[in-house]
Amino acid sequence: MLGFIVKRTGAALATLVAASVLIFMFIHLIPGEPAAVMLGDAATPEQVAALRTRLGLDEPLIIQYFYWAGNALQGDLGRSIFFDEPVTTVIADGAETSILLASITMIWVVLIGVPVGVIAAMRRGSWLDQGLSGLAMLLASIPTFWVGLYLILVFAAQLGWLPSSGYPSIFDEGGLANLRYLILPSLALATPNAALILRLTRASMLDVSKEDYVRTARAKGISPRQVTVRHILRNALLVVVSAFGFTFAALISEAVVTETVFALPGIGRTVVQSILRRDYPVIQGVILVIVCLYLVLNLLVDISYRFLDPRVELE
Amino acid sequence: MNAVRKTRSLMLSCAAVIALAAAGALPAGEAEAATLRYATIGEPPSLDIQMGTATLATTIGQNMFETLYAFDEAGAPQPMLAEGETISEDGKTIVITLRTGVPFHNGAEMTAEDVAASLNRWIEFGARGQTLNASSVEATGDNEVTITLAEVNGAWKSLLAFPNGGPAIYPADIVTAAGGEPIKPENYVGTGPYKFVEWRPNRHVELEKFEDYAARSEPSDGSAGAKEATIDTLQFIPVGDVSTRVSGVQAGDYDYAEYISGDLYGILKDDPSIAPHISSAPIFGLMFLNSKEGILAGNWKLRQAILAGLNMTEALQISVGDAELFAAEGSIFPEGNVWYSDAGTENYNQNDPEKAKSLAAEAGYNGEPIKLLVSTNYQQHFDQANVFKQQLAKAGINVELNVTDWATLLKERGEPGSWDMFMTHHGPSPDPVLLTFMNASYPGWWTTDERNADLAKLVGTSDLGERQAAWATTQELVYEQIPAVKVGDVFSFDIASPQLQTTWERAPAFPYFWGATK
Repeated sequence: MLGFIVKRTGAALATLVAASVLIFMFIHLIPGEPAAVMLGDAATPEQVAALRTRLGLDEPLIIQYFYWAGNALQGDLGRSIFFDEPVTTVIADGAETSILLASITMIWVVLIGVPVGVIAAMRRGSWLDQGLSGLAMLLASIPTFWVGLYLILVFAAQLGWLPSSGYPSIFDEGGLANLRYLILPSLALATPNAALILRLTRASMLDVSKEDYVRTARAKGISPRQVTVRHILRNALLVVVSAFGFTFAALISEAVVTETVFALPGIGRTVVQSILRRDYPVIQGVILVIVCLYLVLNLLVDISYRFLDPRVELE
Repeated sequence: MNAVRKTRSLMLSCAAVIALAAAGALPAGEAEAATLRYATIGEPPSLDIQMGTATLATTIGQNMFETLYAFDEAGAPQPMLAEGETISEDGKTIVITLRTGVPFHNGAEMTAEDVAASLNRWIEFGARGQTLNASSVEATGDNEVTITLAEVNGAWKSLLAFPNGGPAIYPADIVTAAGGEPIKPENYVGTGPYKFVEWRPNRHVELEKFEDYAARSEPSDGSAGAKEATIDTLQFIPVGDVSTRVSGVQAGDYDYAEYISGDLYGILKDDPSIAPHISSAPIFGLMFLNSKEGILAGNWKLRQAILAGLNMTEALQISVGDAELFAAEGSIFPEGNVWYSDAGTENYNQNDPEKAKSLAAEAGYNGEPIKLLVSTNYQQHFDQANVFKQQLAKAGINVELNVTDWATLLKERGEPGSWDMFMTHHGPSPDPVLLTFMNASYPGWWTTDERNADLAKLVGTSDLGERQAAWATTQELVYEQIPAVKVGDVFSFDIASPQLQTTWERAPAFPYFWGATK
């Protein structure tokens, strides 16, 4: 196990270095510059040039890269050009929202996707199965922003049950009650993902139910409920858990639209705004962190296979 | 089975936390009633309003920082931190007497040294400081500063009153330490009715009432006169999506939301859960023409051909929508403004493809592509560019759109060889000298002998009548040489909670909330 982890970590570090070069170069290839965006429409070229020099953006690109990578190795991702704050602070501020949003979304995904997928599989071919599968297809097809806007319209604007947008930290006044700001966005974000997990669970359950050991278990007279939970679901979850890892990582990076619609101070919105402002240090920092997240989650998912199925060879 | 039970238990616990959180919704208490929540179009850049011209930075910053003069409702500059002034006969030396007993948010009283240091920094590094053309600013008494101009500048008072990229007054030690760098949030210290509390990126900028604010004795009049912070706390919250800003006001989460799309006006104007506020200060679209390089440089006939072929009413209808939100007005300044003039406006909104064709032929134009640079960040720019392309095609003028994002456009427009025209817009301006196309170093680079002569007349006197006449001549020249094409006046509209009572009906260029109640 230790050898496997060391080997995979080495591969992950090599990927990280390659990713850092790509991130840096691609971002600087985009035309446009932060100095002009910051100074506004009325700025003269002389003012833009002066700010560019002050920000160190007129250094050769390769020098800028080594300077950035060297500092990143020491945990310093630079300062946001726009906010004039350390990038780590900007990311940390957005991370709370994004991680909580992704976590609550995952709860909805698990609470809805897995049980409904199991029910659909158990009633395969019935009107219930067909109805649920059709609904899942529909929900997976609806754009998240559309779901978000309708949730806001109904539950915030018309019924007034939940806040329409924004998110004060749980460390601010209001404490845990501030999580109510994340209910509508997490539901919007969960809709397509729960539908996908539902379909995945159903398909995986049906695959496993055809295995010999399931037939044996039934032949031994074990109750259908026990066969479903202990023999089919547990093995079917192997595929589903693998999908959870990637879904969680994807939720962090793909929540851009939801964060924009609900005006959430998350990482996704920060990176999009930073691209529009050409705030290079923030874009680079956020993408680097997301790459790290993917690599770590990938590693954890691989390791978790071992626990879920002892037959899996880690080498 | 245990694992399943544990998982189920964990799920139920998480669901319970969410349910508890939902149930724990805070009741709207007194503390909330004293806070005004303003949903902004985005995150502002630095609030050091001397250094940038972003509208949002001014909207927020004007609550904390004040200038020596401020505009009244009619757009005339009135004393704010200044008490009065005397001007030398040659018009180049201005001695300004300052108010006494005006405290900064840090408790120190404003002095002539603070004002001189602030003005000197603005002149050296500020976004619009060089427009003043001052050779020196000195503290010449305890409550007196003297500004010496290199050349007579009839716009001096307007320049000192305009908060957007304007000379906000800060404590001397803060501006000295900052130099050409933007002042950091912890040093946002001004004399305004609100003081800085915190800036949490992507969450909010929060200001609170400055209890020791020294208000003027004159009644409130636009940004001039007395200001009373009747609401304890102001929160400016970035809400990028327009639908969310609307729903937020309808739901009572925000008290005010800016820049609502024109196509929503028809739906929202009769909605009892919101109060629309159409802007009193129009923004006008501009299509700049390249005066330095390319097919349009110095080719007045071809420029006039382009102008003749355009139908502004159609462009405004398509890009803005509701007729209450635009005016096909050729005068650069809106009717009622002291700078309003109809000189040259017979050439505006001609919608005459035949005339355009004939002028283009006279200009020796043979269908060469004319590159129009436009960004997708501003939907109106993009819509107008598309309409213009179609209209000019009818006159045989071949426009090629170069569509980019705004940051790319800002870079490309600085390269004279890469474009012939570009789309932008202009906010309300208090004086013709602040118009971007009057600035010879602004992309477009309009600097003909005729323009230079007109500009010299415009700044060469402080007499309003003479300046108005000079501006009328300049506007006529604008319609002859066409450094930029005015598309038309667009009145943005904001929405507010019906409970919010402001001192204005139509939203000012930079909405303010002193004197407001909710």
